Amino acid sequence: MTLLVANLVIMAVDAKDADGRQKVLRIWTQAFASPLQNASSKATGATSGFFQQMWNFRSTATENEQLKERLAQVETELHIARQATAENERLRALLLLNEKSDIKSVPARVIARDPSVWFNTITINRGSSWGIQVNMPVVTAGGIVGRVITVSPWASQVMLITDEKAGAGAVVGQLGQSGALGSVRGRADLGVGLIEMRYVSGLEKVEVNDYVMTTGQDGIYPPGLNVGRVVEVKNGTATQAHQILIQPGAQFDHLEEVAVLLYHPPPRSVPEQTPQQNADRTRR
Amino acid sequence: MMYWQLASGSISNASMSKLKIAVVLSVSILLQLLLREVWRPLSYIDFPLVVVVYIALQRDAWQALLVGTLAGLIVDAASGGLVGAGGFSKTLTAYVIYFAATRVNLENPLLRIPVLAAGSLLDSAIYVFWHRVLGYPPAVPLMQTMSYKLIATTVVGTLALYLIDALVAERSAQRRQFATRRRVARRSTGPLRRR
Repeated sequence: MTLLVANLVIMAVDAKDADGRQKVLRIWTQAFASPLQNASSKATGATSGFFQQMWNFRSTATENEQLKERLAQVETELHIARQATAENERLRALLLLNEKSDIKSVPARVIARDPSVWFNTITINRGSSWGIQVNMPVVTAGGIVGRVITVSPWASQVMLITDEKAGAGAVVGQLGQSGALGSVRGRADLGVGLIEMRYVSGLEKVEVNDYVMTTGQDGIYPPGLNVGRVVEVKNGTATQAHQILIQPGAQFDHLEEVAVLLYHPPPRSVPEQTPQQNADRTRR
Repeated sequence: MMYWQLASGSISNASMSKLKIAVVLSVSILLQLLLREVWRPLSYIDFPLVVVVYIALQRDAWQALLVGTLAGLIVDAASGGLVGAGGFSKTLTAYVIYFAATRVNLENPLLRIPVLAAGSLLDSAIYVFWHRVLGYPPAVPLMQTMSYKLIATTVVGTLALYLIDALVAERSAQRRQFATRRRVARRSTGPLRRR
């Protein structure tokens, strides 16, 4: 009974101050687990490379011995070269992203995924030692990935944009030219492949294949980042919003390298108050 | 003198058993933390739950509850869900299985299959219930994930329980000893020896 109550209390506290605040238990667990996850991630890469080589050997088994050996050798080299090229391209794209933008970024590698089957967070190998803070946006060259929710010295946990609790202000088309404003978020029944865009006025014109960009109004993502592409629209009416499904630009199934934008949203201006409002507030 | 030997022997046996449980639990938590990166479907297997079910079936209430809480909290802390939800669900699951094991004979290895399935179902249901109540809906389809988890945990858990049984259980160690002695005895009275 005591243990159940203790768990319930921890859960209630966690649910109460879930957004924006760090949890000590999470930070410590992450700090201890991240070196293991890092090592495991590297080992996994090496093992899959080994099995890939084995597979390559098997696929050439029908050919004669000399050719088989030669082909396997070439394929192994080609595989390594392809992997290096792909990695190079991804890193170059991230670098380009960094150069194009005024916002500094920290490149990071995905070292683990959520151990619980119910959520889709990822863990990256960069933490507060690199200047990463909670709520900083995480992106790839393809588009936004999510935001940082926990930071330990050597690792950070990232909530993907496909999570129901995640969200971002977005616009269909170019910011400043389109009025199709809304917010994107994940939906459990859509899985990690698609996200939905809500609150877009039914009077706005939205078509399949239109691009969706961030608006910066959420106070997390800077404006002008790619979110994805519209793949399905159920047209709304004057009183009903469009139902829009978006294919995210980032490939969530194959996330390997990401960049954390060291972005601090501009402080929101507080409207000036009249002397009468000030007096009312003092009275209260 | 003999009393002290017996006492120290029983203490070392008990602590050895606890050490084994701690090792098995640590391995199960590590597997849970690392395997999803290797291959996503492997995350449907709830390794810590298998250990919790095993200890609950041994009718060791305190150990089962503590292990349930600890395993749940550690996995919660590394996941994106609420910290404490997994601890609560595993603790309650451990208690329910312990309660059933003290009233019904669940010694038969075949009975472990429905117990594991029920444990997985109960654990998932409580976990999702608390997340929904506190405004944290899971990011994946409920029924599909629950079914996959049930199947994966039951199939792999049944095999894992045999393995844990062979490694940890004193009774199975005794059984192995008896089997060895019996084999030796048979060998010494066998037809070749008589000749």
